[in-house]
Amino acid sequence: MSEFLQDPSVLTKDKLKSALLAHNVALPNGEQRKGVYVDLYLKNLTAQNRRSAAPEPAFSSDEEPPAPVLSGRSRSGRKATRKTDRVRPEEIDVTELTNEGLKDQLLKYGVNAGPIVASTRKLYEKKLQKLLDQGPPETVVQLSEPAVTGNSQNGNTDSDQYSDKEEEATKAEPEPEPEPVPVVERPMRSRGKAPVTTRTRSGQHKIEKLSAVEQTPKTPDRDVLKELFPNETLNTPTGISATRRQPIKGAAGRSFSDSWRDDLRPRLTEIRHTSSSSSSSSYTETRSAIHRTNAVPLNALPLSSILKPAAPPAVQVKTRRRLPVWLQLLLLSAVAGFLFFVYQAMETNEMNPFGQSASSGALGSTSK
Amino acid sequence: MSSTSQKHKEFVAEPMGEKSVMALAGIGEVLGKRLEEKGFDKAYVVLGQFLVLKKDEELFRDWLKDTCGANVKQQGDCYGCLREWCDSFL
Repeated sequence: MSEFLQDPSVLTKDKLKSALLAHNVALPNGEQRKGVYVDLYLKNLTAQNRRSAAPEPAFSSDEEPPAPVLSGRSRSGRKATRKTDRVRPEEIDVTELTNEGLKDQLLKYGVNAGPIVASTRKLYEKKLQKLLDQGPPETVVQLSEPAVTGNSQNGNTDSDQYSDKEEEATKAEPEPEPEPVPVVERPMRSRGKAPVTTRTRSGQHKIEKLSAVEQTPKTPDRDVLKELFPNETLNTPTGISATRRQPIKGAAGRSFSDSWRDDLRPRLTEIRHTSSSSSSSSYTETRSAIHRTNAVPLNALPLSSILKPAAPPAVQVKTRRRLPVWLQLLLLSAVAGFLFFVYQAMETNEMNPFGQSASSGALGSTSK
Repeated sequence: MSSTSQKHKEFVAEPMGEKSVMALAGIGEVLGKRLEEKGFDKAYVVLGQFLVLKKDEELFRDWLKDTCGANVKQQGDCYGCLREWCDSFL
């Protein structure tokens, strides 16, 4: 059943037409202006509404329940009307408000509305309706505050009003908890701050939220850290302990096998060879293992310094290499040979290439 | 860089003058036609509406949706475009 509204202009034209058709009201042919349908609606349906709503107190005898009457009075389009304190004595029909009235109502919610002209009126009506649905102005202010302050251009000037209103609210009414965030916040806040006052929500809302949020990541982080580093015997000031990384095989002369002494002799010669061309060896090493840390050169330097005088070290070092040594040497020699070849193929710049024929002959002789 | 379209960049780069409403970001042919039917035939008229709504995002989005049926993305594009234009030229 349709609810018969006092002010059908809030419905769309289509809805009006369908409502009229549902009640067997003859529609004019063609597309008419909305006002036509509104008039028809008013004439036919609202009149019926009035007729049947006359014995208002006698709820049982009515064809249609008085709920539509209330809804028509209180809110156009609201499906369920609760006869609770939501129904306020003042006018709630937004469409019947004047421009100034609309602006005042919006101001109660802390919405600094702009000029209410023809093009903006409908929007502000909708906005007010939404605000009315959310509840009385005092409770809504908390909701709208984060939203309104989000609009930097609109919300900043109204922050002063909020604190006043909220004091009344928390005294007068029990706080609803519209958002899950405040609910979560309270146990958090109680942990951190002693005065868990619900009054201080307006201005300090954000600050408390931030502080509450700050606390929450700290505690999980500490747990995670403890899990990651259960070794608490070190107790370094930063809590960070560094363990020596396993030396890489094949790096800086370390052999692949665990025992150093097995491959000592051949290893030494290889090392000497590598150390002779130290720069290129470091090049190959870096190529083979890019992710080596600083530990490697630190290990490499003392080792190479020990090995250069050809004294066999007795240190047993684990070596691990990506590429075998012979392969690295092969690559090295190939690169060196290539460079040498290129160098050989180059021409000298000593003489003017564009100049005399004698020099060109000399140039030709230098190639290959 | 933000993900603004070419249309947005072009619109924001210079005063809108007499540009058509379809020059706005988010407003294409269909939406532009609808706006024009409602009387918003130039970009500055839409700008006027934007300003009358005090550059409020929510209200402007609602208005766009009601007037030409723009979806959320289109609303956002148009709002962003106008806001940035205002920041530069207003």
